[in-house]
Amino acid sequence: MNHYFKSTPLKAQIASILMACALSSTPTVFAKGVTDADIQNDTTTPGDVVSYGMGLRAQRHSPLDKINKDTVKHLVPAWAFSYGDEKQRGQEAQPLVYNGKIFVTASYSRMFAVDAKTGQELWQYDHRLPDGILPCCDVVNRGAALYDNLVIFGTLDAQLVALDQDTGKVVWKEKADDYKAGYSYTAAPIIVNGKVITGVAGGEFGIVGRVDARDAKTGKLVWTRPVIEGHMGYMVDKDGNKKDNGMTGDAIGKTWPGDMWKYGGGATWLGGTYDADTNLLFFGTGNPAPWNSHTRPGDNLYTASTLAINPDTGKIVWHYQTSPNDSWDFDGVNEFIPFDFEKDGKTIKAGAKADRNGFFYVLDRTNGKLLSASKFLPDLNWAEGIDLKTGRPIEKAGMRPGNPSDAKDGKKGTSAFTIPSFLGGKNWMPMAYSPDTGYFYVPSNDWGMDIWNEPVTYKKGAAYLGAGFTIKPIHDDHIGVLRAIDPTNGKIVWEQKNVAPLWGGVLSTAGGLVFTGTPEGYLKAFDAKTGEELWKFQTGSGVVGVPVTWEQDGEQFVAVPSGWGGAVPLWGGDVAKKINHLNQGGSLWVFKLHAN
Amino acid sequence: MWRIYRLGLMALLPMNVLAIPVDPLNSVQWTTMYNRFLKDYPVQFDSRVQVLAPEQAENSMQVPLAVKVEGLQTIEEILIFADFNPLPKVLTFYPQQALPFIGFRIKLQQASPIRAAVRTADGWHVGGKWVDAAGGGCTLPSAARNSGVWESQLGQVQGRIWQQPSAQRVRFRVIHPMDTGLASGIPKFHLEEINLQDATGKTLAQIKPAEPVSENPIFSIEFPKNLPLPTLHISGRDNNANKIKAELIP
Repeated sequence: MNHYFKSTPLKAQIASILMACALSSTPTVFAKGVTDADIQNDTTTPGDVVSYGMGLRAQRHSPLDKINKDTVKHLVPAWAFSYGDEKQRGQEAQPLVYNGKIFVTASYSRMFAVDAKTGQELWQYDHRLPDGILPCCDVVNRGAALYDNLVIFGTLDAQLVALDQDTGKVVWKEKADDYKAGYSYTAAPIIVNGKVITGVAGGEFGIVGRVDARDAKTGKLVWTRPVIEGHMGYMVDKDGNKKDNGMTGDAIGKTWPGDMWKYGGGATWLGGTYDADTNLLFFGTGNPAPWNSHTRPGDNLYTASTLAINPDTGKIVWHYQTSPNDSWDFDGVNEFIPFDFEKDGKTIKAGAKADRNGFFYVLDRTNGKLLSASKFLPDLNWAEGIDLKTGRPIEKAGMRPGNPSDAKDGKKGTSAFTIPSFLGGKNWMPMAYSPDTGYFYVPSNDWGMDIWNEPVTYKKGAAYLGAGFTIKPIHDDHIGVLRAIDPTNGKIVWEQKNVAPLWGGVLSTAGGLVFTGTPEGYLKAFDAKTGEELWKFQTGSGVVGVPVTWEQDGEQFVAVPSGWGGAVPLWGGDVAKKINHLNQGGSLWVFKLHAN
Repeated sequence: MWRIYRLGLMALLPMNVLAIPVDPLNSVQWTTMYNRFLKDYPVQFDSRVQVLAPEQAENSMQVPLAVKVEGLQTIEEILIFADFNPLPKVLTFYPQQALPFIGFRIKLQQASPIRAAVRTADGWHVGGKWVDAAGGGCTLPSAARNSGVWESQLGQVQGRIWQQPSAQRVRFRVIHPMDTGLASGIPKFHLEEINLQDATGKTLAQIKPAEPVSENPIFSIEFPKNLPLPTLHISGRDNNANKIKAELIP
């Protein structure tokens, strides 16, 4: 332990936490189950990973440093675990680690519990899915939440399922919504003060996004908050009685024409983050529905926004809209990561978001005011920048697809070529923040699209787009780029290009490393300061999952799911040339340092 | 050394073997079944435990089966298993207020003894019968899987109470595909608990079905004539926690 005490006070603090962990790792203590304190402290307890984001702020930074710039060359597989079956589609999950077990979700609403040391399966849960599920963008799942003795995840038929961590038996199950209307569930739930907080998916089917809070032990609804102006939120008391909890937005029809708000979209499909300092949940909201923006003049609140919600009351505290009257499926669902930085001797309580629209936003997380916005896609062409006073984009002329009613036949409007494409400067894959370097590590994609609009009307359970599109690469040598961004000035500090689009999450460690995967099958480690590639390993199929790290019995481990899929092969347009040779898979890889 | 070791082993073996009664059905799986399900209590074969089933299964997906117990008191549970099924455990029945009788259908993978083990204060009383079968019952997809309608009717219950001279017979059907998980690409999906309760919520009997119980199972059980049954509540869940809930009124 000596080297810890020689270093900074921060590290000494971590060392003491590590020791506390080591002391408490007896079965009697673990038998208590995951507590709210365990979840709140997840960032500083590297003996486990009990939340999506490795802490509710989702910075995805670990204080572990045994695997570092010097030792990473000795990183080798400890074991690999196959998900089996014919269901080898995109594996986008972040594993959780607790009590010597890894809990990882997989395509088609499956969950595996695996012995963290040996890779041996402990149990498996295959959710029975109806034939008519309507996932827009592959049959993925992004992870689970742990609470008490439960492991909780959502399914493609829009149900929440809580399993016993030891046996895999279903303890409770609640229907989030009607899958036949287009609802589904793919995000990882989060747990805040005993409540399991979830969103919904289905923005391509005219659903209405919302945030739900349930009692994590029973699954019973506590409050629900629709995110589209005009819809009523409510709370549910202990006897199951609904009570009105105020309408979302200022007035019906203020930012929507007619009754377009009724099927207004704003899917909260990626879940959210939480900050204990401000006691706020941060949920991104998706694209307005339909895609054809000529049908819904106005800002269309609160689509393509970040919402700050009080977890106790279910009320919206502030909102920040990144793409008003979105015309490009630049949905604003991306994770908002709370972080602090120093400016003029003061600590700024900030939060950052790398938006689908290609801008990197830094907001004051106490009130949602814009502090800065910069392009993290240098080729971004649809806006000049973001007006710092109004917080609105300064759009360039001619970058919106034309109104189909202006065309002679009324069937197809003029096309626009925009960068980024609708799959975004950054899509679902979570970025990481290192308090050591002060940089955000953003998995981004340089690509554009031709997009045009068509007439459309709402029909339950049918795609509600009114747009056609084709995605195009804009560089010969790459689409994907891992970018390190300094949030204090918005500058790109370093970048690492990748031929195929990046689609996996990022992990940062105190070892000065940044991990992420590639569709070509590699898990890679980069120098967090310089971006130099220090290590890679071929996992056999594309890595679109989220890596995590933890410590067990004095050894540091890294885990990542492998299995190519997700939205890119389904929606990828011309990009197919760069990816159609990639093969599917479905496995969990775990790495550790080679002994000696 | 070798001799001593082997002698020691021989001395031990007969003791273990003696503890397991000789199987009247002469099944090579008997020892395995004994160790898996029965070894914690004394075991005796008992003609008072009757398994009623056809000599030969005409349809391996739907083999009719009834278990009837006469003359045994204070029954804790009735465990039904089929030696040669890939998943041998079929069902556990806790009669409580019900008579020791249950009828339903099962999937049979191949010719096999079907046994009922009845646990009372003095241990297991086992009865059983060989049923011949062509094979394939457990590894085929349910019919509902192909029809696509399983989900819209899932968990529906139909049933009736009949007054008979000797008992009140309850018969009910639950719509459920009862997938074993052994057909490729189709996850395990089956009813795992059914509770029969009176109007006050008191449990009168409990059934814990396992994978081999047939699709859309129909259960027949009997209550004594002197048990008041103005209404019977049926509730339960499957392994995905989909719930069933129904009320039978005579």
